[in-house]
Order: sequence, then C-alpha cells, then structure tokens
Amino acid sequence: MKKTIGLFLASMMVISLTACGSSKNEGSNTAANGKVSIIITNGKGEIASQWEQAAKDFMAANPDITVEAVSGAVGETINLVDKLTASGKTVTMAMMSPDSITNKYKDFGIDLSAEKWNEETVYGVKDANGVIAGFPFSIEGFGLVYNKKVVEKAVGGDFDPFSINTRDKLKELLDKIQVSGVKYPVAYQTENWSVANHYSTQFINQAEDPNTIVDQLKAGTLDLASNDVWNGYYDTLDLLVSAQYNKYGERPLGKYYDDAHVSVGKGESALLFNGNWAYDSLQAVSGEEFGFLPVPVDNNPDNPLNNKIAAGPTNVLVINNAATVEQQEAAKKFLDWLVYDQKGQDFLVNQAQIISAFKNNSNKVTNPLGAAIAEAVQADKTLPFSSNFVKVEDWGSILAPDIQKYIAQKESRAELAKVIEAYYKGQN
Amino acid sequence: MISEKSFLKRLGSQLFFTGPTILLFAIAVLVPFVYGLYLTFTNMSSPLSPLEFAGLSNYRTAFADSRFWDSLILTVKFVVATVILINILGFVLAYLVTSGVKLQNFFRTSLFTPNLIGGLVLGYIWQFIFVQTLPSIGEKLGIEWLRLGWLGDEHLAFWAIVIVSIWQSAGYMMIIFVAGLVNVPKDVMEAATIDGANGWHKLRKVTLPLMVPSFVVTVFLTLKNAFMVYDINYSLTGGGPYDSTTMVSMQVVKKAFIENNYGVGQAEAFILFAIVALITGLQVYFSKKMEVAA
Amino acid sequence: MNARKKASLLLSYLLLTVFFILFVFPFFLMIVNSFKTNGQILENPFSLPASLSFGHFSQVIEQMNFFVSFRNTVVITFVSVLFIGIFSAMTAYYMVRRADKFNNGLFALMVASMIIPFQSIMIPLIYIYGAKLHWIDAAPIPLLIVLYIGFGSALSVFMYHGFVKSIPYELEEASLLDGCTRPQTFFRIVLPMLSPTSVTIAILNVLWIWNDYLLPSLVLTEDRYFTMPIKMKVFNGTYMNDWELLIPALLLTILPILIAYLFGQRFIIRGVSQGAIK
Repeated sequence: MKKTIGLFLASMMVISLTACGSSKNEGSNTAANGKVSIIITNGKGEIASQWEQAAKDFMAANPDITVEAVSGAVGETINLVDKLTASGKTVTMAMMSPDSITNKYKDFGIDLSAEKWNEETVYGVKDANGVIAGFPFSIEGFGLVYNKKVVEKAVGGDFDPFSINTRDKLKELLDKIQVSGVKYPVAYQTENWSVANHYSTQFINQAEDPNTIVDQLKAGTLDLASNDVWNGYYDTLDLLVSAQYNKYGERPLGKYYDDAHVSVGKGESALLFNGNWAYDSLQAVSGEEFGFLPVPVDNNPDNPLNNKIAAGPTNVLVINNAATVEQQEAAKKFLDWLVYDQKGQDFLVNQAQIISAFKNNSNKVTNPLGAAIAEAVQADKTLPFSSNFVKVEDWGSILAPDIQKYIAQKESRAELAKVIEAYYKGQN
Repeated sequence: MISEKSFLKRLGSQLFFTGPTILLFAIAVLVPFVYGLYLTFTNMSSPLSPLEFAGLSNYRTAFADSRFWDSLILTVKFVVATVILINILGFVLAYLVTSGVKLQNFFRTSLFTPNLIGGLVLGYIWQFIFVQTLPSIGEKLGIEWLRLGWLGDEHLAFWAIVIVSIWQSAGYMMIIFVAGLVNVPKDVMEAATIDGANGWHKLRKVTLPLMVPSFVVTVFLTLKNAFMVYDINYSLTGGGPYDSTTMVSMQVVKKAFIENNYGVGQAEAFILFAIVALITGLQVYFSKKMEVAA
Repeated sequence: MNARKKASLLLSYLLLTVFFILFVFPFFLMIVNSFKTNGQILENPFSLPASLSFGHFSQVIEQMNFFVSFRNTVVITFVSVLFIGIFSAMTAYYMVRRADKFNNGLFALMVASMIIPFQSIMIPLIYIYGAKLHWIDAAPIPLLIVLYIGFGSALSVFMYHGFVKSIPYELEEASLLDGCTRPQTFFRIVLPMLSPTSVTIAILNVLWIWNDYLLPSLVLTEDRYFTMPIKMKVFNGTYMNDWELLIPALLLTILPILIAYLFGQRFIIRGVSQGAIK
C-alpha cells in the first residue's frame, strides 16, 4: 500500500509541476498597467512563422501593445475564431474569407470605412450593410496556368497570353501543343474548391456587379440552362477535361492535385486551372516559367470575360466588435503598420509573398504567377474574384459533388442547372 | 463476491475503487455529452451564436437529410467489410506469430508498426500509393485499368479506404489476440495433442472457444472504429469522388462545421450514437453470454 | 519434427514475410523521402535520395520547437497512461467482484460511451471548460490529462473487465484471511496478475495519446504547451503539403515511440509470459 501511495504522490507531483508554468496567466485580454493585449488570428497556415515575426516587429515599434499572433492549421474541424471564442477568449482581429463578412460572421466586424488606408486601395470588402468591414490582406487570382516553355515551343516563338481570347483560339492552341509532341496538353485537377468555388462561379461575372446575378438566383429569375455565359464556361470545361486533351480524361475525377502540378511543372503537360498559389507546387519540380491565360467563355474576342483574369481579395482582416475600444484601436494600428510602415510592407510582400492590395506598397512578389496577377491588376485586366460572392463552404460541400458528377458525365448540364437553382431558392 | 457487512465500509471501498474513474469519466464524457444533447434542441448555426430553443426541428431536418442516410448506408457496408476482414487477418497474424516461428518478436513488432502513425498522416501516405504508385506500376506492366489511380472511381475509392483500414488495424487486433493466445493453458493443448487432435481440430475445439473474450474485445473495437471512421476517410478520399465515399462521421462534421448547421449536425451525431449503441450493445450482450458459456 | 510440421512452419514464415513487407513498406517510403526535396518526392516517391543530408531535419527541429513539444508530449502521455491503467484496473476489478446493479449499470454506461462520436462533444467540451470554467486558460495541461483519463478509462475498464474474471478468487481469499485489506489485496495480488493486460492496454493508450491531434488542438491554445502532432500541422499548407518538411517531422514524432516500443519489447514479453505461467 505504501508503494502505491508513493506512486500516487510522485505522479501528483508531476501534475503539479506541469501546472506551475501555466498558473501565472497574464490576464490576457484586459489592459493591465496601461498595456493593451490583443489576439490576432491568421488562417493561412503556410505563413505562420512570418505572421509571428510580424507581430514581434510590430510590438518592437509599439511597446504599449502586446500581440498574441495565432495561426490556424489547415483542415481543422473547428475554425480558429470559433475555437478561441468558445474557449472564452476574445479574438481582437481575425483573418477570414471575404464571403464570411456577409454570411457566417456578418455581425462580427466593426466599420473600417473611415480608415486612412482606404485611400490606397479599392479592395476593401463591404459587409451586408454596405460599409467596409474587411481589410484586404491578400490579393489572389486564378485562370489557366501555363508552362511558358511548352507553349512557346508549340507556337514557335513569343507568346502573349491575352491573345487567347476565344474558345476556338484555346482549342487551336491545345492542338498546336499536341502537334509539338505533348500528348496531353491539359492536366485538369478536380479538387472541390477548384471546380466549384473557383471555376463554376465565374459566370456571375457576366454582370458588372456580381451581386445582381446572385440576387437573381435567389429570386429564382435566372434560368441557368438558357444562360449563355453559364453554358459557355461549361463548354470550355468540356474541352479542358475531354479525353482528347486531358491527362486524366478517361477518369477525370481523382486526387490529381500533386500529379497535375508535377506534369505542368515538368512540361509533360502545358495547362491547368488554378490560382497564383499553384506556384508553390509547380516550383517544386523545376525552374520553368509560368503565366496565366484568361478562361474563354465564348468566341467573341471583344467579350471582356475573355480578356481578363479573375483577381481580388481572398483574405481579409476584420476587427471584432466585441473587443474593447482600446483593443480595437490597437488592431487598427496594426493595420496601419501593414500599409504604411516599411517593415509591415516588407513582411506582407517580401516575407509572406503576398500580393498587396495597396498602391503605396512598391515591393514586388518574386513568384511569377503572383507577379502576373499583380501586373494584371495594374493593367486593369481583372474581373472580380467570383467566389467572394457566394458561400464558399456551401459551394465546396453541397454543390461541388454535383459539379464533379457533371465532369464525370454522371449528371447532365440541365440537372446541374436545376441543382444550383434549387440551392439558391433554399437560401431565402 | 465482495460482501462487506457495514454500509459505510462498502461505500468506502466503492468510492476507493471506482470513485476516481467515475469523477474523471463524468468530467470528460458525461457532462459534455448531456450538454451536447441539450444543444440538439436549440438553433445554433455556429458555436458562437446565441441559443434559441428549437424543439425537435433539428431531428426532423436530420431524418429528412438524404445525404445523412446515404452516408449511413455506405458506412454499414464499410463496417461489414472491415469487421470481418480485420478480425480474420488479425487472428491469422496472431496465430502465425505464435505458431513457433523464430523471430516472433521481430514479426510482432513490425506488424504492429502501422499503428505508430496517426490516421491523418496515414491517409496522405496511402494517397501516394493509390495515386502515384499503382498507376506507375500499371504503366510499366501495361495494365490499363491501373493507369489512372483508384481514388477517382467510387467503388475503387471505397475499397481503398477498406484496405487502408485493414492495414492500420490488423496489427492492433493481432496484439490483443496474441495476449489471448499465450493465455491458452499449455496443459490443455498438450492433452489435446496426446488425444491425437490435429492442428485444425485443436484450433477449432480448444483455441477458438478460449479466445472468445479476445473476440468480444476485437469485434467491439473494430465495430466501433468502423462506424466512426473519420481520419482515413478525410485524408484519403475526402469523401470524393462526388461525395460517393462520405461516411457518416464525415457527413456529421460537414453538416455541423462546414455548412454551419451546428444543431442539425449535432442531432445527426446523436442519431448515429443511438444506432451504434444499439448494435454494439447487442454484440457485447450476446458475446458476453458466449463468454460465460465457453 | 515431421515433414508436415516443417511445411506448415515454412508457410508461416512465408506468409509473415509477405505481411512484413506490406506493413513496413510505408515506413520505408517515409525514411527514403525524408532526405529528399519536394520536387524529388512528387516526381517519384520511390527513388532513393541523391544524398543523405539532414538539413530538413534540423529545420524541422527548429520550426517544431522540438524539445519543448517533445517534453509536453512525454509528460502528457506518461501521466495519463499511468493513471488510466491504475484507475481502470481498480474500477474493473471492483465491478467484477461486486457485480451489483450500480456497477453493472456503470459498466454498461462506460461501454456505451465509447461510441459517442467525438465531434458531438467537442463544442460542449471547450464551451464548458473554456468559456464557463476557464480551466483551458488556467491549467491546460492538467485539464488535458484529466480529459485523457476520462476518455481512456472506458476502453481500459472494458478490457480489464474480461481479464479480471479469469483470475481465481481463491487467491484473494487467502490474502484477505491473512489480514490484508481489500486495497492491499488488489495491489499485491490482483494488479501483478493483470500485468500482461496492463502492458497491452498501456501500449494502446500510449499510441493513442501520443498521436492524438483533435483533443489537444482544442484544449491547448498557447505555443509553449503544444504537443508534437499539433506542431506538425505547421507543414500543412492551404493548397498543398510541404512534404519535404512534413515527412521528417512525422519521422521525428514517431521515432521516440518506436524506440520505446522496441526497448519495451523485453518487458512486454516478460509480462506476457508471466501471465501464461499462472
């Protein structure tokens, strides 16, 4: 018995030892001795260490503010903000996708329309009431990523991506690539977020303000099956995934993300549909060069949709209205630091390799796909980032399976149109 | 068999032996469970939104959710396949390992190693195999149907999950079977040998009946693991292609945390709980009876 | 040894070798790929590394804050497993020896609890112990240990329960007649006899807790408390995994447990054979 008691005591000691470190909690959220503590969350797991360093640099410049920089891991079941809030903490400023401001977190943020940085950007994201609540943290874009060397060899010389402004010209290009000895010009990866959130939302860019299309869908007044633009994008998709051109044509669905990027990266294929982040996967293979083609929707070379690339804010920072005024002010300071301070600018573009939404940030990303998006932004050759106008979670989870079924030819286009219309009617 | 006379003394030993477990079990499981049950009767779109009483509406929505039932049917198929195959393979491995081979420990250790890797990572490793390896083998040997990887076809993707589950769990079950097998008394086996029983006979008449307690444990574990499979499902197929391999746990997570329909997801989780409780309860009840009889 | 026996033994070896290759193959893949770059891994996961450079390992050790996360994981795992074992053995023993209504009911309840989908209690869990009681802030590691003991006790009680039954009661009677109290009898007579089972249960619990991601990800919110599986998630990107760091991180995470497992073998065998002698 004595032995067991000894064992118990020993183990208790271990417990109490581990407890020591944590018992001195610094009373996280309250302002103690004039110092403000804030929690800022980052949803892009890959920039976690840069995010932490940014917080340290900011604190060095603002000794009266303590920043706890938390990064979420990708694929977590409960998102970071919900988790921290449910465990009793107040997140002062959260990174989220732009559609969250009008949907899931529509009551979360404070009005940022009076902030000075609005002068430097057009990408501030509005909430449901039409006031700017989202600070544009990153600009990203998507289109048809192509391997420059392969395409230049096929066309025999210099290649201007914006010369491909009709579907027929795209087909012609694919044929040329095939003639040049590339058996499968396209490696089409079918991740749910890619085929649904990105590819299949493009049709809402047919209106100057994509929200009008979304409103028509909700009202049930838009007939997709007879809508030319909606059909046009799927005509182009049919071309891209067809067994004639697509590496995976005989079984178009599957976990092809890595393989598709390796294929295009090595030049075994020429094209894939993805965004500027694809470079991370492409560059793993070789030092080839890459660029973007617009996704053509029809055969009219003057259609703006055929001549522009979708780009826009994909992550925004939102300040919590439940935080104290001091905390909100501290968070605003952090935003100003990101826009105006040299170190903040450096963190965003040079360290984290993010395309800045702000004109005054003269740094350039070295990633060629990012640079292509930045150039398109400057040349005014961009369309809105269409997924920002839909509930991305719903599209990725509810609608993506039907879009994938369409790609696998297990569902007709008319059926797909009905599914999307039915989903929107249920949204009222 | 314990029969303390005084009530106080009995309470004392009850508390001493079971008190700590009851307390910690309540903290970790019972209290959150009851609170979670309460949440199914409220409207909750995210863990943060204020609670409103919603009656049975979440359960009505859950019962009407065809994706939930589809995923449940698929899970039942998965359960049948894995429970049978894992237990057979686990027992065969345990039998082989204890059959008098040298290097027993070496084999036992290495066959158990898949368990050292967590489910998520395991899924990613196997993705390599189904997406990159099998196609490259197919290409080299000219087998056309292997060229495109398994995860894009709904049937092959389903069997891919089954294979990885077997691969992961067979070694675990083997360990439990080994513990049972070495507990089979040697004198009984010797007596059977002297009586002229051959290997197959000894296995059926002597070993298997004595292994019933082990099977109670392994069948229960495989049953419960299969019903609640999530990690491998998530990291290997992600429910695809087109939702054809979404098992019920994944469906619940999708509903609650991705589609932000927390109340309904929670209600679906409780329906799942009720069904699994019923099935495993019957299994344990009947096999415990067998245990007594054996 | 007759010919038949020889043949069947040969078959055993053959089958075991096949399974051995199938089961160990992914480890081979991991080790091979831990020395390669992303490009080399994606291009051909089966190619051998061009050189044995440990660059990625040292990068991982730094980014994972390896020694801190290692210590956290060891403490959490060790303490939890120890107490799960002791408490569950005690409980299972008492439940078998006094199978009254209360204890049978409790046993049924615990068995039933094993099939609660964890997803259905994780929100209540962080809500109660975070927002309401603030234990998550005050003492995250002790809370995590308490939760592990609570979650782990069901399976362990269930497994002990079957094995306690096989211990003849006569041995305890003798001890009680010698004047030992019931707890003394338990710790001196019963617990040692349960050691094969204890070893098995401990192994299974160590593996579960060591590799667990979901529960610590909910309870631990500060970097200095993070366990290795949580730190490993750093290498998952939004769209792609950073394989060249993820794989070495994974190896570093399972290496300690692999070593412990290999060392523990001797003890495990002793435990198992002790059980067989009785």
